[in-house]
Amino acid sequence: MAIFNLKKREIECKVVYYGPGRCGKTTNLEYIFKSYKKQVTGEMVSINTEGDRTLFFDFLPMGLGKIKGCDVRVQLYTVPGQVKYSSTRKLVLRGVDGIVFVADSLEVRREKNMISLKDLQSNLKEYGKSIFKVPLIIQYNKRDLADEGIPLMSVEQMERDLNRQLKVPSFPGSAVKGTGVGVALKACLMETLKSLQREFKWAK
Amino acid sequence: MDISLQIKSLLSQAELYRTQGLFTEAREKYNAASDMIHKIDKLKNKDNLLKMISGKIEQLEKKTEKVETGPSSPELSEKGQNLIKNLFGENDLEKAVALAKFGQFERAIVELEALLKDDVYRVEAGKNIMRCKIAIASVDDAIDQYNQWFSGDLFTAGQMESIRTYLQPIVDRKGIDKTLPAPDIPVETEAEAPASGGIEFNMPEPEEDILDITSIGITFTSGAQKGKMVEFDVNFQSGGMLSLIISKSDRGLIEELQVGDQLDDVQYYSPIAMFKGTAMISNKTEIKAGPKQGDFCLDVKVAST
Repeated sequence: MAIFNLKKREIECKVVYYGPGRCGKTTNLEYIFKSYKKQVTGEMVSINTEGDRTLFFDFLPMGLGKIKGCDVRVQLYTVPGQVKYSSTRKLVLRGVDGIVFVADSLEVRREKNMISLKDLQSNLKEYGKSIFKVPLIIQYNKRDLADEGIPLMSVEQMERDLNRQLKVPSFPGSAVKGTGVGVALKACLMETLKSLQREFKWAK
Repeated sequence: MDISLQIKSLLSQAELYRTQGLFTEAREKYNAASDMIHKIDKLKNKDNLLKMISGKIEQLEKKTEKVETGPSSPELSEKGQNLIKNLFGENDLEKAVALAKFGQFERAIVELEALLKDDVYRVEAGKNIMRCKIAIASVDDAIDQYNQWFSGDLFTAGQMESIRTYLQPIVDRKGIDKTLPAPDIPVETEAEAPASGGIEFNMPEPEEDILDITSIGITFTSGAQKGKMVEFDVNFQSGGMLSLIISKSDRGLIEELQVGDQLDDVQYYSPIAMFKGTAMISNKTEIKAGPKQGDFCLDVKVAST
């Protein structure tokens, strides 16, 4: 949940990258850490296994400067995607203000995307939040693999699978190449800040 | 597509999925390639190809096993644990509980044991130590700890009872035939009304039976704790009227609360059930004398459940 200090005019909010295992959540954060050095205010911390699978979470703090008279800071997190870390996902999701759902464009991961999105909906519900109301962006990741002859789902198909009801902003991307990473993050931050502005009415 | 191209494509996909950590998908493609190769009678290097694929599948199976049987909550470095504390806890108790939630039980116990000295956190620290002991060792370990505390003087009778009523149902659920010793709770409340300017309890109206409530969680709608639920132990209960003692160090928590305020989101904890409801602030008084001088007595009337 966003922390709003009226006296100091500071806002700190939380954005979580969610999605099935191996979809590119950590890769997104790694790219952001590497490419947005001016905005990054601390080290990226990853708590992961030997095989580089996220065990608990990745964490990256950023500062966005003054927006509408308020100093805005954002904490980016990823959740572990493996099915067995379901309780950790729920813990990390607590107090979330905005979400980037990273979907895997590989055809063989179609079902995992949908299971993960349902899992997100269920975890949000336990915190009294609706997936239809929380600021949410979808990134269709791994689009670069089309060039390697690997069967990918079309963006249209992924929209039908994941975004038919939600109708949230969505962006194709490739976290490993960096395309679509910044635009997805910016879109999520915009939606998140709009939502917080409605809640706290902090704009001068 | 030419069969050799199909096999090449399957092997290429398998290799990509393997590098992506998608071991199940990689194995499926290797198996599909292997099946195709088996069906071809005359294929150059058929045996070598099948042997190579078999080797890849074996490696994948080992990796899959390593991933699936790895510990779900290995003990992290101190740095990792400190990060968990700082990111997932606001006060010392929440930080310690966050460690436990991330499976860092040993460290959580150390932090919780330090909080036993603090009257404000003692009961919750005690309950969470029980949780940790059950998680890393056994219910018997938790029972041993309880008995140790019971024979000591760290906890008051009321606090000990709070821990007993938390632990006993767990012991029963585990099928352990053991009744935890119960402390003698004095008839008078600990917060005895001082001679003048003291606590006054409103006489409860005749109402339906209310369960024994051991603690309540109040979700604050304003102030520094806005949106957060804070749990308070019930010091005394008379029907639907609950008396909470709030330490002077926590006065900030209840500063915004006034007599007559309706609390819409209240969690009630009893030994046999947990339920949600509403409540009303019936009285808020600073204790002017006695051992609890400076603390606050907050009377909360259960409005609905």
